[in-house]
Amino acid sequence: MTAPIEVREPDTDEVVEEDRPWVVIVWNDPINLMSYVTFVFRKLFGYSEEKATKLMLDVHHKGRATVSSGTRTEAERDVHRLHSHGLWATMEHDK
Amino acid sequence: MPLFRRPRLFEPAGSKGFQVRLAPEARDWVVSLADELEALLVADTEDTRRLFPTAYPDDPERDAGYQILAREQLIDDRREAIALMRTTVTRSHMSVEELGAWMRIVNDLRLVLGTRLDVSEDDDELDVDGPDLESQLIYRELGYLLSEIVDAMTTTLP
Repeated sequence: MTAPIEVREPDTDEVVEEDRPWVVIVWNDPINLMSYVTFVFRKLFGYSEEKATKLMLDVHHKGRATVSSGTRTEAERDVHRLHSHGLWATMEHDK
Repeated sequence: MPLFRRPRLFEPAGSKGFQVRLAPEARDWVVSLADELEALLVADTEDTRRLFPTAYPDDPERDAGYQILAREQLIDDRREAIALMRTTVTRSHMSVEELGAWMRIVNDLRLVLGTRLDVSEDDDELDVDGPDLESQLIYRELGYLLSEIVDAMTTTLP
């Protein structure tokens, strides 16, 4: 006889937390060249020159810009790709 | 055809990638800096903190998890790129992938040197009396080289 399957109720808090998207933020630093940052945004995310330039200028003038969003796994992958190109990227839950 | 045009260090050359116009001593110099960078990758000094940024600034526990997986990969990626620099150092032409490796390492060199020099947004002027004048000059040379590489690489984007 098969034992009854134990059904684990999902942890509601966890589900709600994971439903909110994660955002990837690139921070301003005085070292990276503007042309390099724009290039990396275009190469990694396939953004148009116009969009990549706008994001780069946001980083430069406002100190930060959100460059992508998604699940935690997707955001972590993007953060890693940005780190491998020397950009100062972090991730956080979208507010 | 433009009458006046400064020669580019990396000229797009169709299926051959880019024609490279770097003097042999300039190539050797960049690779020698890359050799120094490779030694620093595992040294865990303050100079290299920009190469391994925090992913989760508000969550040390998650960040520790990220660092365990990412740090080793980031070191391996850089070692592979430096190895590619060494094998292409005398080439007359480089592929997009090869020049991309040069680009990332030259950027890394600027990150390490800029961190060491504590570069700020207002540091446009050379401090000719500063004790680190040589490092400032190297930083500037690398900035010129990087901007030439980025200009060339940008021509490959769709």
